[in-house]
This record gives sequence, structure tokens and C-alpha cells, in this order.
Amino acid sequence: MDQHPSYAILSPFISKYPRAAGSSFQAYNDLLYAQQWRDLEVIDLPKCSRCGFRGRKPDTNAILSVVPCSLSESLSLSWIHAAFEEFGGPQEVYIAITVEDSSIVYYKISQGIVKPPL
Amino acid sequence: MPRKVPLYAAHPLLVDSFATDMVSEQVTANRRAERKQFKLDRARAIAQAAEAAEAAFKEGRVLTVEETGIVIPSAATWKPSRSSSPPPPLSNGPPTSAAQKDQPLDEDIPENLEHLQLTLQEAFFLLWTLDCLTVVDPNTNCAMTLQQIWQRFQQAHLPPYPSHPADPTSLRFDNPFLINYVVYHHYRSLGWVIRNGIKFCVDYLLYKRGPVFHHAEFALVVCPVYEDEDDRQTCPFDLQNVDPFSWTWLSTVNRVNSQVQKTLVLTYVTIPARSRCNAELLASPACLQYFSIREVVLRRFIPARMRD
Repeated sequence: MDQHPSYAILSPFISKYPRAAGSSFQAYNDLLYAQQWRDLEVIDLPKCSRCGFRGRKPDTNAILSVVPCSLSESLSLSWIHAAFEEFGGPQEVYIAITVEDSSIVYYKISQGIVKPPL
Repeated sequence: MPRKVPLYAAHPLLVDSFATDMVSEQVTANRRAERKQFKLDRARAIAQAAEAAEAAFKEGRVLTVEETGIVIPSAATWKPSRSSSPPPPLSNGPPTSAAQKDQPLDEDIPENLEHLQLTLQEAFFLLWTLDCLTVVDPNTNCAMTLQQIWQRFQQAHLPPYPSHPADPTSLRFDNPFLINYVVYHHYRSLGWVIRNGIKFCVDYLLYKRGPVFHHAEFALVVCPVYEDEDDRQTCPFDLQNVDPFSWTWLSTVNRVNSQVQKTLVLTYVTIPARSRCNAELLASPACLQYFSIREVVLRRFIPARMRD
């Protein structure tokens, strides 16, 4: 892992939050290389005991927030609430759920009730 | 999670553009395009009805549904209108499909672009029992030995994420890799096909032949049990279902699975005590013999309906 170019950017958070290291590393690489997000930055989310990410999807301008977690973790509403807080109160936050076989699934969580676009 | 049906390698039909509609991704794309059209039609009808009602209200009347003549479609009543254009064939399909229409089937089978993603348990089973997998260390480019792989897979769960190998005595019997491997190995060697069960709120699904042939019969929830309760206090892992669960949770999971005709099985895995079993045993798969598995099958009993 330490040979990987992303390690240099994530290493302060990997040492600070070792239990979230695996899912953070996987989510970061997926966003950067597979999803090809631009302007990807790493945000410290101390109340969630991990780092999160903010960036833009290709060909869009909106800044999106992602917090990684593993399938084997249990989340709570206060954890999700803390993520919204520490990202600075965006309308939506994406949760990146990572699995041991390197699958990753993103769930979008919005503040309050949101009507679908159509 | 990996696809159930391989797309490229097993589908010589793909080179024939006639058959692109049969591919599951194309079926899904068609269905989604139709549904999007339905939603557009419905939104338009709702907007029309709202406009008509507003106009009537301004005149001091209240309209009934029959008066407007506008029908708001529902999923059950909507039909695709005249020429709703079908979605374009998948752009990431084999580039040769259009050009290859008249060529014989066995020419130019597209390169297999899919890769298989294995969980640590699946990978170890293939390595150990079937000897059909090689694991290469990315740093040294050498194949790893079974012993190294066994320890490395356990270390994957140990915090801190190991960029430096931990010593074998720091390994523990309650490592999630071990517990899941015990379950995986047990059922796989009995002939079941095991897949991930997250779709149905459980840990694993057991199939008789495979997901493509028949739906899963059994849904497994893995419940680790500590032989020595003191070991639990020092556990550094995220281990699920160790604590007694509530009736609410149990009923929920059972209900979800009964709806889809699966039987819920609680698989209890006993974790040997550190006082009884030395941590050095964990250096090799021989430590698996110290685990034991018991199953409890759950079915909901409804006295009024199940008289026989």
C-alpha cells in the first residue's frame, strides 16, 4: 500500500484513523482513477473517525462530498449527522461502502425528504 | 459484487449484433429508458391537470377528474407511445459488433475485458483446496507461499493497516477473515455454492448449483460465539452479531427472507479461547480444526395457516 502514489496523500489520515484506512484508501482510488473526479481533496472528519473526500464529477461543476466506510461497520444516525456537519452542511453526502473483494457502492443521503426529479 | 453471468468470454452471440438485445445490460437499459419515458409522460400529465385546475379555480369553479379529460398514467396502465426510440446499443460493448454482422461467429471473439474479483475467503479456498490460483506479491513480483498468504489475509483485518508485517503472535482467533473462512470452507466443501447475502440482510446465501440455475434456498447469518468471554474485551475488529440480537431484528430478517422463499439459518461459530489455544497455531490453516459450527434453522410458524 505504501508504494502506491495515493499513499503519500492519505498517510496522515491512515496513521490517525487506522481502522478506516482500508475503506478510505479504496474509496479515494476509486474516485480518483475509476470515477475520474477532479479537484479531489481530503477532509478530516474527526467525529466520524476517518477522512472524507470532496470533489467534482467529470463534466459537472457541483462539489460532492463522500465519506467512506466498510460493509462490516455499523453506522448510526448521529454518525451520518456528524458527517454532514463536518463537511460544512451540504445538501447531500455520499457514503462509499467498500467490501473485501474491492466492490464499492455509493449511497446518496440527503438532508430531509427529497422528492425525486420526475 | 461480480456479475453472475459472464459477459464476454461465454457469449459468442455478442459478436452477432442481432443478439445484443438479449444481453442483460441491454435489457436493463431498455427497461430504464421505458421507465424514464413513463415518468416524463406522468409528470407532463400531472402538470396539465394542475394547470387546468388552477385555471378553473381562477374562474371560481372546481374541476372534477372527468371534466379535464386528463388521465395521469400509473405504472400499471402506461403503454409506450408510438415511436419511443429504443436506447442505443451499449457503447462499451465489443466495438466489432456492428461491423461483424455478416461474419462467421467464431472469428474475432472479443478480448475478455472482465476481471474476476474474489473475496479473501474465496481466494484462499481456491488456493488451498483446489490449487488453481497464484498470488503474486506486488512488491517483489514473486508468488507467495500458502503460509505467507494465510497470514497476510489475517493481517488485512488488523489495524493499523499493515504496510509492515505484524508478528504472527499478534494474530487472533476472532479475526473476521478466519470466522468467515470457517463458514465458507464448511459449506463449500459440503457442495453448496456460497455467495454474498447483503441483498437480503444476511451474510451468505447458499445455492444448490449456482445463482443462475435456481434461487438460493438458505440465507445464513453468521453469529460468532466466544468460548472465553474475556477474549471479547480485547477484540480490535468490527465483528457483527456477537451480542445477543433483538426480536425485532430477528423478525425483520426472517420476514425479508420468507418473502423471497428462503430459509433463515443462524450459523453459530465457536471461537476457541486464547487460554486453550496458542496464537502460534494461527500461522497455518491447521488452526481451523479448533473452530466448530452449529446451525439453527428458523421458520415462522403461523398456527392458523399451518395446520398440517
